Amino acid sequence: MSETISALLHGFSVALAPMNLLWGFVGVTLGTAIGVLPGVGPALTVAMLLPLTVKLDPTGALIMFAGIYYGAMYGGSTTTILLNTPGESASIATALEGNKMAKRGRAGPALATSAIGSFVAGTLATILLTLLAPLIVEVALKFGPAEYFALMVFAFVTVAAVLGSSTVRGLTMLFVGLLLGLVGIDDQTGQMRFAFGVPELMDGIDVVVLAVGLFAVGESLYVAAYQSRQRDELETMSGSLWMSREDWKRSWPAWLRATAIGFPFGTIPAGGAEIPTFLSYALEKKLTKHPEEFGHGAIEGVAGPEAANNASSAGVLVPLLTLGIPTSATAAILLAAFQNYGIQPGPLLFQTQGALVWGLIASMYIGNVLLLILNLPLIGLWVKVLMIPRPLLYAGILVFATLGAFSLHQSVVDLATLYVFGLLGFLMRRWGFPVAPAVIGLILGPLAESQFRRALAISQGDPSVFITHPISAALLTLTAALVLVPWIVRVVRERRSRALA
Amino acid sequence: MLPSSRGGRVELILSLGVLALGVFATVIAFRLPEGGGYARIGPNFMPKVVSAGLIWLGIWLLAEVFTGGWRERVPDDPAERGEHPFNGAAFAWVTAGLLAQMALIQHAGFVIAATALYALVARGFGSPRWARDAAIGFALGVVVYLFFVRFLNVNLPSGWFGPLLGTAGL
Repeated sequence: MSETISALLHGFSVALAPMNLLWGFVGVTLGTAIGVLPGVGPALTVAMLLPLTVKLDPTGALIMFAGIYYGAMYGGSTTTILLNTPGESASIATALEGNKMAKRGRAGPALATSAIGSFVAGTLATILLTLLAPLIVEVALKFGPAEYFALMVFAFVTVAAVLGSSTVRGLTMLFVGLLLGLVGIDDQTGQMRFAFGVPELMDGIDVVVLAVGLFAVGESLYVAAYQSRQRDELETMSGSLWMSREDWKRSWPAWLRATAIGFPFGTIPAGGAEIPTFLSYALEKKLTKHPEEFGHGAIEGVAGPEAANNASSAGVLVPLLTLGIPTSATAAILLAAFQNYGIQPGPLLFQTQGALVWGLIASMYIGNVLLLILNLPLIGLWVKVLMIPRPLLYAGILVFATLGAFSLHQSVVDLATLYVFGLLGFLMRRWGFPVAPAVIGLILGPLAESQFRRALAISQGDPSVFITHPISAALLTLTAALVLVPWIVRVVRERRSRALA
Repeated sequence: MLPSSRGGRVELILSLGVLALGVFATVIAFRLPEGGGYARIGPNFMPKVVSAGLIWLGIWLLAEVFTGGWRERVPDDPAERGEHPFNGAAFAWVTAGLLAQMALIQHAGFVIAATALYALVARGFGSPRWARDAAIGFALGVVVYLFFVRFLNVNLPSGWFGPLLGTAGL
């Protein structure tokens, strides 16, 4: 415990160094801006900025990227409340009540409860992260390749098969991501795989090209084709930002409950913030003393989901930093940022890169304070950002997106690949294929393969290591249960209903 | 039963596409060498697993197509999704912007390519003001170019503006 405190204090000395403070400020400001802008999410923004890692020192860059990640959760609520178009998928639950509040002229309190709630939940979740991370590191230090492989399989299956509307389409995208991850030189034998002699493919498919292609190019093609001829209704920011005594009384229990839901959901591979925000919304709807207001702008319905998504974004960093397992698309791209510096997140990170990792955690405490300031007094500025006409906004997004891909190798081949992934992204969006499993498959696939082969090399090729090691066996059993139990339940139910009919 | 709706036919094509990708990857995977060392599995093992998985998923998707279509599908009617019908011109303008950028970036340079991309994409999103959009795109291109080249030391093709930027002392 005292070790944790001294490590954290050292982290603050790193995070408060002027340059790191500046990068943190840039990160949370950018994060808020992209959270506000529809069509740009944190995964895309971090991916576009990844090529800059060559120029920045790791601590500053990672502090900035983390700031973008949790800053986007703050900004998303502004768009949702004023525009009724969720800026981020994690803001969909907020849209249910937040926009109704704005329509009734209560935009101010809605924005205030989400900003203050995000601050409370973000800070509490960062405290939980600080306390929990060293405990997980203790356990994870005992993990061998077999345990890591089982953990990665567990992450793959939950992200691809259990979440999302369709198991088969989620798994399809996971396997497409895994296949893309195989392209290039096999780092254990030097064997070239799936490169077809194309020099640009020999280094492998860069996550920047895949993520930017799917998120920016695919999204732009989709919005142009299906949404660009529609008009948005922007609610005006009328009335004061101040929350009444009643608003406070109804908000704070929702914030605390949402933190309790959001943080644990972030730490398990549950695909980010969507599920906890909806759970929090459902819980508030059930517990409220004002059920008649739900559906017409109940403040608990804004306070809960907004706090939940911030708590979960801190939770996501627990498995990422302590185990090296990304559980959302953004986390996968953050992992790629670490890899660009030759740093592999995991328990050893806390020993070998203590200053970096504790600096990063400390920067989140500072970042949350900065975000509260950015999002309350400066809210008017972000409302102006929302007024950028869509044609100019998307044209700008594509200029930056293509710049990110082009600056990797100064190659037109990367731009062509980007467009191909854009077409793929368009088809995926139209036909309901999720993006996150593909990105996670690309990043985590090669790591899973090397853990698998290392485990077998240690056991001299005996595959029973995966079931004789208790942790690995437990994780693989749990994974199998997650896939098989819903399937068996469905088959039995279909049989029964057929028998009755 | 073969799907009769247009959406169903696209599902059939996409499912066959996944299956074909799996078969293609399998063929390549089987040509890779073994060479496993102590692990007894080599660089060809994971490619075989992944391509087998894609074949399995392609068959699974096909099975859904022939038993009433994909489950939990996205509605075919754009109105049901809260969107307007497919706008082919918009799609084509955005594509034209990206292709123009690819064609221009090496010779005409980053700034010109960004201007073309910006103006064409804005047109695709329904902006009627060509000249204004091109001007904004040009200004954005210049600012980004200078920021990258001067501040970050990332090289971007200067193209036709190389000499001009040179004489302006930039």
